[in-house]
Amino acid sequence: MSDSMLSLSLEINGQRRVLEVEPRVTLLDALREHLGLTGTKKGCDQGQCGACTVHVDGQRVLACLTLAAQVEGRAVATIEGLGERALHPVQAAFLENDAFQCGYCTPGQIMSAVACIREGHAGSDDEIREYMSGNLCRCGAYPNIVAAIRQAAEASR
Amino acid sequence: MRNFNYLRAQTVDEAQRAAAQAGAMLLAGGTTLLDLAKCGVTAPETVVDITHLQGLDTIAYDNGGVTIGALAKMSTVAADRGIRDRYSAVSEALWQAASAQLRNMATIGGNLMQRTRCPYFRDPASFSACNKRNPGSGCAAIGGVTRNHAILGTSDTCIATNPGDLAVALVALDAEVILGARRVPADDFFLLPGATPEREHAIEPGEIITAIRIPESSTARNSTYLKVRDRQSYEFAAASAAVAMDLDADGLTVRDIRVALGGVATKPWRAHAVEAALKGKKLSREAIDQAAALATEGAVVQGDNRYKLALAPRVVARAIINLKLRGIA
Amino acid sequence: MSGQADVLTEGRVKRGDAGDGAPLGARVSRIDGMAKIRGAATYALEHRPAEMAHAVLVGSTIAAGKLRRLLDTSAAAAPGVRLILTADTMPDLRPVTNWLGVRGDKPYRALTHTITFQGQHIAAVVADTLEQATEAARLLKAEYDIAPAIADLDDSKVGPGTEVDAVAMAWGDADAALEAAPVKLQQEYATPREYNVPIEPHGLIAAWEGADRLTVWEPSQWIAFMTRTYAELFDLPFENVRLISPYIGGGFGSKAFVYPYGAIAAQAAKQLGRPVKLAVTRPQTFTAFGGRAETRQKVALGATRDGKLLAIRHRGLNETSVTDTWVERCGEVAALMYATPNFSSKHRVVPVNTVTPSALRAPGENPSAWAIESAIDELAYEVGLDPLEIRLRNYADHDHHADKPWSTRQLREAFAAGAERFGWSKRNPAPRSMRNGHHLIGWGVAAGMYPMRRTAGQAMVRILGDGGVEVVSAAIDMGQGTYTILAQTAAEALGVPVERVTVRLGDSTLPLAPVAGGSQLAGLMTGAVHKAALAARDELIGLGLNDPKSPFRDRQANTLPVADGRINGMEFGAFLQALGRDRIECLRDTFAENGISSDDPFKNYATITTMRAPTDGEVSVHSWCAHFIEVKVDEDFGTVRVSRVVSALDCGRIYNPKLAESQWKGGIIMGIGQALLEEGIVDPRNGRVINNNLGDYLIATNADIPEIEVISVGVPDPHASVLGGKGVGELPIVGVAPAIANAVFHATGKRIRDLPITLEKLIG
Repeated sequence: MSDSMLSLSLEINGQRRVLEVEPRVTLLDALREHLGLTGTKKGCDQGQCGACTVHVDGQRVLACLTLAAQVEGRAVATIEGLGERALHPVQAAFLENDAFQCGYCTPGQIMSAVACIREGHAGSDDEIREYMSGNLCRCGAYPNIVAAIRQAAEASR
Repeated sequence: MRNFNYLRAQTVDEAQRAAAQAGAMLLAGGTTLLDLAKCGVTAPETVVDITHLQGLDTIAYDNGGVTIGALAKMSTVAADRGIRDRYSAVSEALWQAASAQLRNMATIGGNLMQRTRCPYFRDPASFSACNKRNPGSGCAAIGGVTRNHAILGTSDTCIATNPGDLAVALVALDAEVILGARRVPADDFFLLPGATPEREHAIEPGEIITAIRIPESSTARNSTYLKVRDRQSYEFAAASAAVAMDLDADGLTVRDIRVALGGVATKPWRAHAVEAALKGKKLSREAIDQAAALATEGAVVQGDNRYKLALAPRVVARAIINLKLRGIA
Repeated sequence: MSGQADVLTEGRVKRGDAGDGAPLGARVSRIDGMAKIRGAATYALEHRPAEMAHAVLVGSTIAAGKLRRLLDTSAAAAPGVRLILTADTMPDLRPVTNWLGVRGDKPYRALTHTITFQGQHIAAVVADTLEQATEAARLLKAEYDIAPAIADLDDSKVGPGTEVDAVAMAWGDADAALEAAPVKLQQEYATPREYNVPIEPHGLIAAWEGADRLTVWEPSQWIAFMTRTYAELFDLPFENVRLISPYIGGGFGSKAFVYPYGAIAAQAAKQLGRPVKLAVTRPQTFTAFGGRAETRQKVALGATRDGKLLAIRHRGLNETSVTDTWVERCGEVAALMYATPNFSSKHRVVPVNTVTPSALRAPGENPSAWAIESAIDELAYEVGLDPLEIRLRNYADHDHHADKPWSTRQLREAFAAGAERFGWSKRNPAPRSMRNGHHLIGWGVAAGMYPMRRTAGQAMVRILGDGGVEVVSAAIDMGQGTYTILAQTAAEALGVPVERVTVRLGDSTLPLAPVAGGSQLAGLMTGAVHKAALAARDELIGLGLNDPKSPFRDRQANTLPVADGRINGMEFGAFLQALGRDRIECLRDTFAENGISSDDPFKNYATITTMRAPTDGEVSVHSWCAHFIEVKVDEDFGTVRVSRVVSALDCGRIYNPKLAESQWKGGIIMGIGQALLEEGIVDPRNGRVINNNLGDYLIATNADIPEIEVISVGVPDPHASVLGGKGVGELPIVGVAPAIANAVFHATGKRIRDLPITLEKLIG
């Protein structure tokens, strides 16, 4: 077993963050355990729930199946970086439409939603449902999530 | 998971040399490698990150077909205009797979190399008997919970289903897998378990997939991928079918047809018997159903998966009907 | 709205002239929303005490037998490993009190050599980093003496189980009436093992200060109970344990108790002298605690040819563990939903080698409705009646079991409102009569109910020197909206805008509260907050009239107007300053209102022994609903998709319709998952839950869920709670699965009696 460590220089929410971690550390654990960014959530750690959704170079991906080492040289955006000064329209729409209950899947839903709209996959309710199906919600906020994304997508057009 | 050394390959050459080392695994999207490392199925000593290799993610069209770089992301290929128009089964197979996030991470090459979802394979801590992980140790799945296991291509050493979608479409479209200088027809790239279930792909140590090539054809132009599952999304196929069809001007007579099955076999399953039964025939409901029934020729039920015997032919039939209607529309 | 206000004022509550546009009942957005949408809400495992170590559990790979020994040849020596707790090294802890208030006398053993289910904890590895602990745990192997295991209810070794006499119900002579009935029907209905699956997995961080002060960050639906458990385990006074749980990532019944891994983490922290975080992995959540037990029910109905019930004979059973008894009472809905002169229900529990089942949203009522609402539907077809009509024909105008009138029961209204919005009158009664292309379409209806649970509560309300208002309680918010409705309640009573109210919840150092379970919390806490807020208001007025420093002291008045955050036109803050005070603080409880003795308030908060029955008093108090569901079934594949839902629900007065509607939709969505997707699958050879992950245990995705319309038909029910609301959270899941099965029958002519309704059951 290797005892190798890596010194990584990561760009998180526009800020340079340096960390010393073993290569096996996932981006999710790097964020939550090493960088104090606990907004990104761990729901399954196996790529099956979407709670850990972040953006890498503007694309929505799962942090639990990404090594921290993989994102060196790429731009990582997390929920903490969204709407730092003012709420992002998607965040505002989530609040208005009550698109969350316990809030645990919410950062992943929002990051996923922002990307979903940007990808052009929010053209209809059915499209939103399909393209947001990578984010599970046990509280059952789905209809309100769809309403929030529809609202934010329309506003952005 | 066990800690490992992490290398970033800057050239294909470097990647191939690193991949040839014992204990080395290639990291592209990471969706398979990390998943299996967390399950304890794999424990690489060295992880070779190939995502920085240049020029391996392009989609290049030429007169004869399209060459898709192995590092192209599933989402990129799914959304590509040319793929949607001329190789629609590929686009459809891609966007119905996994989730948007996973499709943004996973590469075409990595997707072909994904492993089975068999719960016995994926849980070494609970099940030591797995001929895929540990040749000769037995198969914990046989006699167990087998509703998702294969009815086609099984042997007494392994009944695990190949879960891929893209692979099924590629097999139907007579694609080739390109490993540097070597080219392998897609159907030959995926191996039957036979007596060596640990060998799933015709790839040698040190080889990496660099691209796939799909020949342009009138069948590819009129192709579809139908995926049926209990959950509307984010689930592997209970049964799926890639169908590519070239119809006469009457829109009814089959000039040429390709059929491949997913979700029911140990490898993407080219249904030659279905193709033979329909080639040159008129597409009546009866002809379609009779031909589709041949999709499960040679199938062996394993415990709980009897429903796949009924389901697979119906998925084939529906995919053919969908294409027929699309042609008319 | 004024009607509701009148109920409020009727002899119970002094409104005075508090502002109109009452906050309670308004669609206020969640006040904890900002934190949640910005990723700023800190959940239990996200706290970061210094020097924290990580614990990872190791589970048994056998279902029954003995752990002979652990082979830790490489685990202990693995990098970063600080401690390995095993059955041999984990000390016995003190006995604990259960939720009935009974303290055992046997030591608490979190790790034992006796194995009774696959996945049972056999060790915990503690290391500096999560990766180190995870890898070392993987290296830990065990040797077992394997004994025969009862894998599940289908196992050939399963016994007959034990009858639970306490839940048996009977009136009339069901057997005789059945025998004589012109129309008879008997069927068996089954539900599989189901899991809570909150998206936040379980786990905790335990940190000691010295040898006798423990802090635990753990998601908790029941702060008082869990704090007491930790205190007992380690022989500490209650006050020496602090349980902190301001945010909970879903519970649905699974986060109300301390489980063995909690004891393990706390012990590890104590031994190491470092805080320990123990995260239960998602696969481990399928065995670290129980979900809903598998149930089987036999329902026999006897009726006239006009579909009037003459008899219901019900026999139910649920699996339990071989060590403890959990009763998933299946007779409740059968006993109360319809009028029948003859009734008999018995229930038994059958031990299998599984983790002890536990509470999952509407325990009992959920599977109970599955059976009776399917059976009554089958009866409808048997006698040629519309399924809605047969339900109305057998409408129970009072509680036949308790022989009491309903307090309020808007079920007819629910049927009517739901049917109208759904378009039920256009339904063609014949199965397989509606289709669209490849899809067979079916319309189904079913009813649901949930009892009103009531316990005394308490709350503190403060008016602060800056004019702000603070509500303080150990009650919790796991997404039901406690933060918000308590703010609304205080705002209304004090006549301040909701934005001026802050709410602090989820900490054992705060005034204790009962469990957030049984859908009781909103009713009891709004009552307590209302009382405390009115007391604060009264105190404010009293000070205004009598305090020597009050600017209004010389008024010849016996009251002062309080509205818009002002007393007699003066801002609260300025007023308190004038008095030279930094706050007004009132702690009030509702023991008197609930007729519960306040001799032992702790018992009220830390046990369920003071929880009032729904039939306590002269009336029977329940929430009711009717679900109307359309399904599309692919005629070739057997795949079922829910395409339309209209549900009408009677939960009495709604404190916040925006949040209640979200709860309703959430419960309905959980019901859709239950009906079509969810099933814990056991490998019969070894008792392992083979689909212990979110890719194989399927909950509904966004694409599975259509528009859901929910209609409130409730009226304020003063018997249910001071402010008129009835339970909201669990009701909506009850009746969804049978409504879907009924719709599937209407679509296909196939009756599925065991959940989930997967394509393989329909493909035929």
